[in-house]
Amino acid sequence: MSEMIHILPAVLILISAVGLMFMSMYEDKFSTKTYITVSSIVLVLALILAFIPFGELYSVKPYTSIFNDVVIFDTFSNFFNILLIIGTLLTLLIGEHYFQARSYFKGEFFSILMFALFGMMLLANANELVTAYIALEVASFAVYIMVGYNSEDSKRIEAIFKYLVLGSFIGAFYLLGVVLVYGATQTTNLSEIATFVSTHSNSDLALVYIGFTLILFTFLFKVAAFPFQSWVLDVYRGAPMIITAYMASTFKIAIFSFFLRAILQDLQPMIDFWDSIIYVITIFTLVFGTWLAITQNIVKRMLAASSIVHTGYLLLAFISLGQNIHSAYSTVFYLIAYLLSALGSFGIISHIISETKVRVTYDDFKGLAKERPFLAAMMTIFLFSLAGIPSTIGFIGKFYVFTEAINAGYAALAVLAIIATFVSVYYYFKLIAMMYFYPTKEECVVNDFNDKRISTYAIAFLAIITVLGGIGSAIVFFIPVLNIDTLINITQMSIQSLFLK
Amino acid sequence: MSANILSFIIFIPAVIAFGLMITTKHVETVRNIAFLTTTVILALVLKIYIDFEPSAGMQFVTNVPWIASYGINYYIGVDGFSLTILMMIAILIPTAYLLLWEGRTKGYWINMLLVQTGVTGTLLALDVILFYFFWEVMLLPVFLMIGIYGFGEKIFTTIKVTVYTMAGSLLMFVAILYLGVAYHNEFGIWSFQYDNLTNITILTYSEKMWLFLAFLSAFAIKIPIFPLHTWIMETYKNAPTGAVFLLSSIMAKLGVYAIVRFLIPIFPEIYIEFSTWFVFIGLFGLIYFGIAALMQDDIKRMFAYSSASHLSFIAAGIFSLNAFGINGALYLIIAHAIATGALFLLVGLIHDETGYKTIKDLGGLAKGAPIFTTIFAIMLFANVGLPGTNGFVSELLIIFGIYEFNHTLGYISALTVIIGASYMLWMFQRAILQDRVGEPLKFRDLKIKEIVGLAPWVFLVFLMGIYPDVFIDKFEPTVTHYLNDILQIGATK
Repeated sequence: MSEMIHILPAVLILISAVGLMFMSMYEDKFSTKTYITVSSIVLVLALILAFIPFGELYSVKPYTSIFNDVVIFDTFSNFFNILLIIGTLLTLLIGEHYFQARSYFKGEFFSILMFALFGMMLLANANELVTAYIALEVASFAVYIMVGYNSEDSKRIEAIFKYLVLGSFIGAFYLLGVVLVYGATQTTNLSEIATFVSTHSNSDLALVYIGFTLILFTFLFKVAAFPFQSWVLDVYRGAPMIITAYMASTFKIAIFSFFLRAILQDLQPMIDFWDSIIYVITIFTLVFGTWLAITQNIVKRMLAASSIVHTGYLLLAFISLGQNIHSAYSTVFYLIAYLLSALGSFGIISHIISETKVRVTYDDFKGLAKERPFLAAMMTIFLFSLAGIPSTIGFIGKFYVFTEAINAGYAALAVLAIIATFVSVYYYFKLIAMMYFYPTKEECVVNDFNDKRISTYAIAFLAIITVLGGIGSAIVFFIPVLNIDTLINITQMSIQSLFLK
Repeated sequence: MSANILSFIIFIPAVIAFGLMITTKHVETVRNIAFLTTTVILALVLKIYIDFEPSAGMQFVTNVPWIASYGINYYIGVDGFSLTILMMIAILIPTAYLLLWEGRTKGYWINMLLVQTGVTGTLLALDVILFYFFWEVMLLPVFLMIGIYGFGEKIFTTIKVTVYTMAGSLLMFVAILYLGVAYHNEFGIWSFQYDNLTNITILTYSEKMWLFLAFLSAFAIKIPIFPLHTWIMETYKNAPTGAVFLLSSIMAKLGVYAIVRFLIPIFPEIYIEFSTWFVFIGLFGLIYFGIAALMQDDIKRMFAYSSASHLSFIAAGIFSLNAFGINGALYLIIAHAIATGALFLLVGLIHDETGYKTIKDLGGLAKGAPIFTTIFAIMLFANVGLPGTNGFVSELLIIFGIYEFNHTLGYISALTVIIGASYMLWMFQRAILQDRVGEPLKFRDLKIKEIVGLAPWVFLVFLMGIYPDVFIDKFEPTVTHYLNDILQIGATK
């Protein structure tokens, strides 16, 4: 029974995905609102189920006879499952307005969203390379479809085509990598590969190293690190706004969850081999992402480009893993921080453009603060968080990452990252300046909006969490619950569970 | 209450500001409540001032964990240095409210309240991360104020000032993290308390030098020290009166304060070694900005240069390595805050009333507004350092300090103070006293409310000028402690 508890959330999501698919056959019977309600209820249920083992340190491989150790359930995967479910739930709630305003979001969309979530959860639990591949592809294909929703939009067709072709192409690298690893080790199970690596000398490991480096390329592609970043701008720009939010926040977390597990649990020696590769990649990711972000005029593209810079910060934490296990905690913490602020910032824009299609470039955001002061204030909070201004969770995330990077001896890289942060102040503050300091452009004036709806409350909730996560117990030090330490402890515990054997 | 009195002083404005933001749209209510808040804070600060023991070091300390995993504490306290500046802020802000009374919007007052939280927090924070937190936060309301209520190319200006100060802050941020990691490596635990960071011994000389410069860059931009001053001219010219007042009389002083609070205790030997350079740069700034001020036609720009000139002088005093210089610098911080604050507010008044802000457009204001002219003259004289005013005492002390540090530089400083007098008096004569070319301007005299607001400043100018001991006694023990204990350690190492 206790094994059952662990797999229940993922199973529930899978069942609901199929169920929603059937529901969508009776298209005219259910409104979009019904789909949103049903999916949200399922997600809340899954969340409750996932929270049952929360806070304990454990690592189990349930039903070994059926699954043959291909999946593992531990505090780490539990933590990521919770994050992924929360990310999806918030995407759904924030997008409520957007979904209802666009007629093309029919029932099957929500089914695909659930499939994506299932794939990502499986990825967080995968303990074997082929399983991870299947999970990754399930999630990726779901995301491909969602990116291409409403094929009447030519930008969207470009986006899905680019993403699909490049994504599948890079998937081939992954498979080649798996084959090479299998050829050398006769296994695809991560634990067994780890045993093989630790018992053999370097000369026998050439194929394993090459194989995993190919797999690393897939990882770098999916998180949009240099030189695999070229798809990001067009795909993020072309995709429906709320899907961009989903990709930038939740999908990225899922990718990191698997690779963090693979590296920390099983491939510690690999990190030294990769050190110089990732070092160079981090530098280029930061520099190139920053350059892209400055040169954008369209807000969505700017946020997309800035997500490359955030990948750079995460890689900085990633590279420090070799010297300093604490930076694993910082990676996870930064992922939370980025989830909140990216989801918030993309989400607000999707909410704003629900009634109207204008508001694309910086100029279109002029005067938002006069028109809708609370939305502008919340957007400001998210931008502050992305820029790492104190009093937001983004600052704590950056503090954590940079401290651990310096502690691991990557002070020069940390300085570069700080410079990137400094430049990011410019492009984030430019948007704030647009919202607050200019009158509204005539063609962007919207009068008939209703901000008393679920989307707004979901965004407000995110904004409050973003600020509380940054202040923690500073102002309210007499309330111990709202503590950054709690978050840090959870991330630490989840990483520790990887080392339970 | 009394245990957390400092926390109350820090956070009351922010809490009130958020409350007002949500509850009311009525500008006058917002303003009245905001003003009331600042007076309550003034009362609390007065209580602290009375209870304060000059010789007892850090007092009213609150030290509770904030992010325990990294040893970051919510650590605040007050000593002789910070008390003096705290008192200054608490007096200046409510009186500034009285002068800004009419014609502002709700957002203006809310931002003023938020700034107060930022500056007080910066002043009282003793944990470097907490300090950094407030240091950044105090900038954000000013960013909004300049952008929304400024003049001219306000948006370019506000982005420029933000990016400029953020550049320094982020360099300081790296340095803070580096120090934290060094402490962790040496002692095995995390801590960012400034008194713990002073115990680090494993840093090499060149590391220390870089860290010192990284810290200094943040402070030097805020002060500003030559050559990091290029942001202030446009900012002071284009910013609304309230923001200029905050930047020049309060935030710039916090830059100087931060040097004393953090740089000197953490890097004593670097401070001693570089002091000649910085005294020299300070004096150079004094002359350079003074000459630049002579050539300005826009009054606000002139004051911007004048302010930079005085702050360079303060910086020179801080680096002069003796009690005269540091006492004088601290004293000038207060004197200058009062004089410049008042002058900026009065010039803001001229601008609001007449619509002109260049010297050649103005003139003949003295006839219609005798009280205004009197107060303007008093503040001007204090700024110039006429005997009997607080400016005189502080400038004299700094000149003594620099003379003791290095005779030649002492003579230079004594001679160059005269530049300040020349541009100030020349401006006064042209803009206020002498008749205007063309038809006379319509200009009202000060209202009762404004006179009431300025009265304590005038009183302070003379009190501090005639009985300096009343104030110096409060912070002199701290200065002595710095020189004897901290720098002595630095000298022997």
